[in-house]
Amino acid sequence: MTNDAPTKRLDQLRLDARNRAAKHDGKTRVVVQLDHSSLAVGGSAVAGALSEALSESAYLVVAGSDGASFHAPKVVVTTPDGAIKSFANVEASDVPEIVRQAANRVDRPDDPNLFFEQQHRVALDLAGEISATDIDEYLLYGGYSGLAKALTMPPEAVIEEVKASGLRGRGGAYFPAAAKWEGARKVDKPSKYLVVNAEEGEPGIFKDRHLMEGVPYRILEGMTIAAYATGIAEAFIYINAEAELSAQRMQNAVDQAYGAGLLGREILGTTYSLNVEIRRGAGGYVCGEETTLLNTMEGYRREPRLRPPFPTEAGLWAMPTVINNPETLASVPIILANGADEFKKIGNENAAGTKIMSLSGSVQRPGVVEVQMGTTLRQIVYDIGGGPLDDHELIGLAVGGPSSGVLPTSMLDTPVMPGQLHESGVMLGAGGVIALDDRTTIPMVVRSLAAYNADESCGKCTPCREGTPRMVEALDRLIGGSGSPKDIGELRQLAQIVGAASLCGLGQAAGGPITSALHFFEDEMAALVPK
Amino acid sequence: MTITDQKSLRAALRENFPRNHGQLLPALHFLKHEFGHLPDWAMEVVGWHLGIPASEVYGAATSYTELRVHKPGQHVLRVCTGLGCAINGGTRILTTLKSSLQVQPGQTTPDGRITLEETACAFMCGVAPVVEWDHEWHGRASLETVNMLLRNGDES
Repeated sequence: MTNDAPTKRLDQLRLDARNRAAKHDGKTRVVVQLDHSSLAVGGSAVAGALSEALSESAYLVVAGSDGASFHAPKVVVTTPDGAIKSFANVEASDVPEIVRQAANRVDRPDDPNLFFEQQHRVALDLAGEISATDIDEYLLYGGYSGLAKALTMPPEAVIEEVKASGLRGRGGAYFPAAAKWEGARKVDKPSKYLVVNAEEGEPGIFKDRHLMEGVPYRILEGMTIAAYATGIAEAFIYINAEAELSAQRMQNAVDQAYGAGLLGREILGTTYSLNVEIRRGAGGYVCGEETTLLNTMEGYRREPRLRPPFPTEAGLWAMPTVINNPETLASVPIILANGADEFKKIGNENAAGTKIMSLSGSVQRPGVVEVQMGTTLRQIVYDIGGGPLDDHELIGLAVGGPSSGVLPTSMLDTPVMPGQLHESGVMLGAGGVIALDDRTTIPMVVRSLAAYNADESCGKCTPCREGTPRMVEALDRLIGGSGSPKDIGELRQLAQIVGAASLCGLGQAAGGPITSALHFFEDEMAALVPK
Repeated sequence: MTITDQKSLRAALRENFPRNHGQLLPALHFLKHEFGHLPDWAMEVVGWHLGIPASEVYGAATSYTELRVHKPGQHVLRVCTGLGCAINGGTRILTTLKSSLQVQPGQTTPDGRITLEETACAFMCGVAPVVEWDHEWHGRASLETVNMLLRNGDES
């Protein structure tokens, strides 16, 4: 089948974008990286000062962050001769100096940066470099090639291509992405829905926000491909209540995509149409659980549903529903544009592609990083993150959020892989690494994670509702010095029961922090019992 | 249009929200935006509009951590004590505030000026610790940051 209409239409869009961008030719490009984190450290004042101070010979681009939170707010200046200079931790009062240097054509190349050298940026490629508010830049940097390619293929072939790439869901469950699409495609129902699960609510994990704020168009492109492959005409992007900037950027991206004919009726001149609506969450870890998310969207309490039926059979309003994470969708355009074989070369044979990790705690260089599957935690914490803060010693890592657990420093060589990192309950989850140092203790960390799980338990399943606070109480007794050996036994037992008798992932994994601590830090936990 | 009573709220709901169950959360967000919290009477009106019993509206509303049913103080001060913030000073900030304001997280000072809240993560772990003052986040915060916010709050 030859159908080059989408490609031709995309070429035309790029040509138009190029013509609009021509006014910037020969000018200095000043990129200010604004994401939700940089706004908290004076980013908007910097952007304001720049837009006032820049002369006619320069233009300002508002981008997301490049992931180097330790550099925020950051400004990157590219002079017409191609020389690039980055300014980190910029304050509004630094702006005159930046403008002066930009005018003087700084030719010193940026220092090699260990933070970026060890990464493998695929989905995050372009984040922090191109405009997060102007679709023209995404188009000019190769955006929407994946969608144009997909629309020339039959939907089944798109599913086959993504299946061949080995792409698995990046929300934490690592279910093969194409299998969901295929499942929903096969069900014969009048309507089908796609929900982008951007409810991201796990403490220590902030990569979906990072993607939405940096490369919103890439998520939309991936979403459109997924919807086309599944045969879906209506999609929702469900964004965390607190992620205000993410919601703004996504809404802006949606509006621009409609304007360019990349959403709405007859996308890129084909017969395929897709409508998108942005919905906001209202807080709660459990809302990221996909059946809970559906309840929330239908106007019910935030409680999970019994499975089966799975959402791909009966999801939103009992119709087949595909629920994908933004990070998963961000890989999809790349698979289509470059082919499944190219994508499979990244990562390793068990797990294709990259993983975006949120790195925080006691590290020199915290932020959001993208690494190949199979990269070790040591590489992430030491090579990319620069190791613990000065004068402190690493005591362990909290990996994968409150549903996962803690790892000792002896496990630093564990590679990042989908699913379990250790049988004691440590999972990769959505990919968070919090480096812990000697300013805290493992029992305190476990208590914090357990208290979170207790707070967030929705209350539907009794073992979780009653068991999670009991675990916190036992930990409090132990930490407070009034514990007994019985408390350790009770913790072990409760972790097991809550895990076995809960409906959703939150309850099933609520004991993870405790079982992993009892496994790896047995002595430290036992030492809490008064002699 | 300012919303002050049942009648004006019903008119606003009719204008903005189709009558189906799925509009509950968007409608509650609307109340939060209008009033800063969810007043009982307004939740009841939302129930009338969408055909949902007030008890169910209340049940759903109180299951979400970002929706509040009580009117907060004049200012809301929120401190993140997620692991990344806790280790970098967030816990110390919260402890100091508890003793200087003489309230526990979730409570408002007796003069109604400040509501102190604790959050388990603000998702800005890269610029930890963070505090929020009246919907504006401040990263790499310290006790001085918080004292400055409290002082400036006095002027407003």
